[in-house]
Amino acid sequence: MSRFFNDMKKYMYYCRYAAVTNLKAEVANSYLNWIWWILEPLCNMLVYYFVFGNLLGNTRQYYIVFIYSGLLMWNFYNRVVLYSVKAVRSNKGIVTRVYVPKYILLLSNMILNFIKMAISCGVLVVLMIMQHVPVTPRLLYVIPIYAILLLWTFACGTILLHFGVFVDDLTHAVTILMNMLFFLTGIFYDVSTRIEAPFGQILLTINPVALCITSMRKVLLYGENPDFLLLGIWMFISIALCCVGVKTIYKYENSYVKVV
Amino acid sequence: MKEEIAISIQDLEIEYRNLTHMSIHQSIRGRKDRKKEDIIHAVNGISFEVKKGEILGIIGKNGSGKSTLLKAVANIFQPDRGRIDTKGNRVSLMAIGVGFNNEITGRENIMTSGMLLGFSPEYAREKMDEIIEFAELGEFIDKPVRTYSSGMYSKLSFAITAVLDTDILLVDEVLSVGDARFKKKSYNKMKELILDSERTVMIVSHSIPTLKELCNRVLWMHDGKIKMLGEPQAVLSEYEAFMSS
Repeated sequence: MSRFFNDMKKYMYYCRYAAVTNLKAEVANSYLNWIWWILEPLCNMLVYYFVFGNLLGNTRQYYIVFIYSGLLMWNFYNRVVLYSVKAVRSNKGIVTRVYVPKYILLLSNMILNFIKMAISCGVLVVLMIMQHVPVTPRLLYVIPIYAILLLWTFACGTILLHFGVFVDDLTHAVTILMNMLFFLTGIFYDVSTRIEAPFGQILLTINPVALCITSMRKVLLYGENPDFLLLGIWMFISIALCCVGVKTIYKYENSYVKVV
Repeated sequence: MKEEIAISIQDLEIEYRNLTHMSIHQSIRGRKDRKKEDIIHAVNGISFEVKKGEILGIIGKNGSGKSTLLKAVANIFQPDRGRIDTKGNRVSLMAIGVGFNNEITGRENIMTSGMLLGFSPEYAREKMDEIIEFAELGEFIDKPVRTYSSGMYSKLSFAITAVLDTDILLVDEVLSVGDARFKKKSYNKMKELILDSERTVMIVSHSIPTLKELCNRVLWMHDGKIKMLGEPQAVLSEYEAFMSS
């Protein structure tokens, strides 16, 4: 445990620096560069809005903001999870030359995607103003909800990072799973009201991403209280899984190099 | 006065088990179908010590475990058995063609490499100009590394490890980098680094004259074991005789 905090301190600079430079590199080769980070969720949101809002007649209040805010969270989770499966392999150059705790690679990618998400959040604010979403003090609950999402993402990431090294076709499996999860997470609908009585609640209980997104919308858009107990439980589960993931990586990380 | 030990290695063993990639199907079915003889002992029970400021050459035929040994000392591999103690010294491994993120620029790679070796960003920034000058990359330093030629790549790699001061330097066959002029320059830089009495060096090389000139002692590895360890002159002539027989 103390090793984890020492390493975090030691590699934090690297983590941040690598995140920013990788972000710059992504931008350097495109014409619209950082505008893409806004454009992508915005276009997705418009598609969902026309399909589910107009064609299928979803009358949810603030529907545009509803979709967009969900998409931001989902995109973050989705990107980091997909990255974690091939994190060690795609950093082969670094991993074979110098020792670095392997979860640092994951963390760096999380920072990168968090920056992207933060920029897209600017658009979210604009959308909220345009739709006249009332601002309540409950808005502040967004911070712990995001924190839980980060913990859960890191937990999933560390575990997938470990197995991703050894199991070749995990990328395919995870891609399909994430696709399925996308529809079970309620990006363009409300899980608790749209899915029949017991199942909606069950889904919210067992799918922390859906829980985070639903809670975030409650406090952000509708001024309601989230389910604190359930969020608390998932926070503990996430922290526990983070510990398991980091321990596993520490135990096996030196044999990763022999495989890649 | 007792001489300070910089690296101590005891009964070191490193195996390459058949840790190759698997499909999901295989990993569920278990590893029963794995053959026993797939275990390769790359380094097989060796012990030695390197004193502070010493230059140890390592020689041996291909596949005798030299590079694996260096990687283990650099803490990239964990020993399967035995112990490696580098006494908290900062270790850097210099090897050909590894270590960069291809998408980011040379300058940014200098920063990331420096930080990964455990230096502060300020120190890396301070040394930046010296590295850039030594690597002779001109304006390419601000272009993504994937646009580099293989020579430029190696030159940058050499410059980073040569200029950033680490206590222990592990050199894996890099004394033949770049064109003739750079080769001479890097060789001289190498000598300068090595002659610093504070720095401990382990060099893997196939070049007998190089080892003769630079090293205090030479270790001859054969099939993961120490065949000989001692004065360069003695070990190298034995080795030459062995290889030509």
